[in-house]
Amino acid sequence: MRGFLDTHRTGQAVALGEDQRPVPLRKHAPGLGDFIMDETVAEYIRRTVLKIPRDEIKTMLQKWGFLSEAQLQTINFHQLKDNISQDVVQLCEENSADIKQAAVLDIIYNYIYPNKRVWSVYQMNKTGEETDFFDLTDFKKKIKRRLRSALKNVTITFREYEDNAVWIRIAWGTPYTKPNQYKTSYVVYHSQTPYVFISASVLKSNLPLLCQALVVASNYHDIREMELRSHSLNSLKDIVFKRYSQNFQTYYPKPLRERDVAPETDLRIIQENKNEKERIERVNREIFGDGPQPKLEFAQYKLETMFKSDPKMDVLDKKEPFRCLVKFSSPHLLESLKSLAPAGMADAPLSPLLTCIPQKARNYFKIREKKGLFPGSFVSP
Amino acid sequence: MEEGKAYSPDGVFAHLEMLEARAHEAAVKQEETEQQEEKLARLKARAQELRFQRDELRAKVELQEKGQLGKGGVVSDPAQPSARAVLEWKIKSVEATLQVFYLTGISGKLTKRGVCFCISTAYEGTYLDSYCLDLLIKPEVQIHRHSVPVFIPLEQIAKKYLQTDIRRFLSVLSDHLNAYAGRRYQADQLQEHFSDQIEGTLQRNSLCNLLVFSYNVSSKSKTFPFKVRLLYGDLCCSLPTEVVVSCAPDAPVSLAETAAAHSDLFRRVALHKAFRSFSSADESVDGAP
Repeated sequence: MRGFLDTHRTGQAVALGEDQRPVPLRKHAPGLGDFIMDETVAEYIRRTVLKIPRDEIKTMLQKWGFLSEAQLQTINFHQLKDNISQDVVQLCEENSADIKQAAVLDIIYNYIYPNKRVWSVYQMNKTGEETDFFDLTDFKKKIKRRLRSALKNVTITFREYEDNAVWIRIAWGTPYTKPNQYKTSYVVYHSQTPYVFISASVLKSNLPLLCQALVVASNYHDIREMELRSHSLNSLKDIVFKRYSQNFQTYYPKPLRERDVAPETDLRIIQENKNEKERIERVNREIFGDGPQPKLEFAQYKLETMFKSDPKMDVLDKKEPFRCLVKFSSPHLLESLKSLAPAGMADAPLSPLLTCIPQKARNYFKIREKKGLFPGSFVSP
Repeated sequence: MEEGKAYSPDGVFAHLEMLEARAHEAAVKQEETEQQEEKLARLKARAQELRFQRDELRAKVELQEKGQLGKGGVVSDPAQPSARAVLEWKIKSVEATLQVFYLTGISGKLTKRGVCFCISTAYEGTYLDSYCLDLLIKPEVQIHRHSVPVFIPLEQIAKKYLQTDIRRFLSVLSDHLNAYAGRRYQADQLQEHFSDQIEGTLQRNSLCNLLVFSYNVSSKSKTFPFKVRLLYGDLCCSLPTEVVVSCAPDAPVSLAETAAAHSDLFRRVALHKAFRSFSSADESVDGAP
């Protein structure tokens, strides 16, 4: 309330007044007082700059906004990257950068290069049906409070992006040690959705705490991992937010898409199996749609089924499940699957086990035997 | 003749009879040929006539085509429409009807196993995004797949109405989607057209049911920031249910009134329209003593 005249007397306005005050952060180098930058901060900024491709350093520093345009003018971006990073650090020292600013630069780098990390999707659940007015300020406060109360030493940095996504970078420490800025966890959360994208740190022990903080801050009740992982954050988003091409049948006038159909120019070639080709194309389109597929690198199937063989052969003890791991990997798995049938390498339609990936939103499966159903069906050729 | 000789007593009569018959036969034949010739002539004349008609029609068609190319449709006579034209017209009208269904916001198409509905959203005459729902009908109605945003409470709506009242289900879902599209459109418009008045960033969430921002209001050649918090309690509505507009305490008393007036406006009018009215009103306020 202090400082703001409230025209409508509601409780929320009080919260608003407090929200606007920045939460004071403890300096990491207490006692140094003056404009001397923490050595670890300097080194961290230097290493972050080194990660950026040279021709992108300038634009990324501009996005960071910590160094003034005049300061950026003084840097020669054509010299060796090592020298550029030294120059940047020197300017940051002039501006007395602290770890908060360095963390923001790291978020910017990770936002532009999300594929450098492996992302895993988590799903949250809630029991009630009440509408949620997600307040970002509130969300941040809750996350910070939860993590700080448990660990004390932890660097938490937020950055919001236009698509209602908030990026959270967490560097973990313990009550007695400083946060490790090189083993960070990243969280991407779109408000009011049950999905969280987490790129966990190597320090896995903090994951439960992080999940707990997320559940509390976003007003959910529990959280579980979804068995959906990829380097491509955007594809994971497309899958769980159902933005991938689903090929709905509607009367809605679709804009005509120019198909890059290679015309059969040579008239001497007669398409013997034209009908079959058209069938494959149709079936494929029904399953995969017209648009590009989300990008996944793996699909893994863990089989825990019984091995069935001719009783005379007696190859394996039937009581034991036949354990087997099938892993499909490709730089672009779904696109590869899509092209299998048209290329004549598989029958159309493909097995639903392969084509259900985007719809089921998972690329890690466990296959167990169906119980009590057609015991002999596995043997039939 | 030999026969005649053989039956001489009555051979004469018989011969005469025979001659008579022959004469008659010849007469009939002659008549027939005459008739045929006549018919041929008639038919030839008819053919001539038809040829002439054909040429005439050809010339007409040519003329018509030339006319259409040149002047764009100086059609001579409204001839009987061909079957093809009728068919084309029918297809066009059916397509138009489907288009109209699309304009109503909800359209459906039968699929192999159910129906695929498409809900198109609009806000104040502007068409916005469309969302699709693929429903299976057997053994019970269920949602097979959809493109509805994840933060729309689809599951709740489905639980309430999907099995019992599919019309209600679609209309409630459509209300939710339209209200969401409307709220988002207003926030987008505000950011797009009034970013110079807004200080800092406009904070919103995915459903756009909470907007927090501040904007500058000038009074007596000084500017004061107004803080706004808009809460949209009804998810089927694109106007806020709770509006808080606050200004700094050092602001003149008149500004508190302005804040109250603004708050009232936010409750009733679309966000960007409210801002448009401020900027036009601002000039008059500035001009007043």
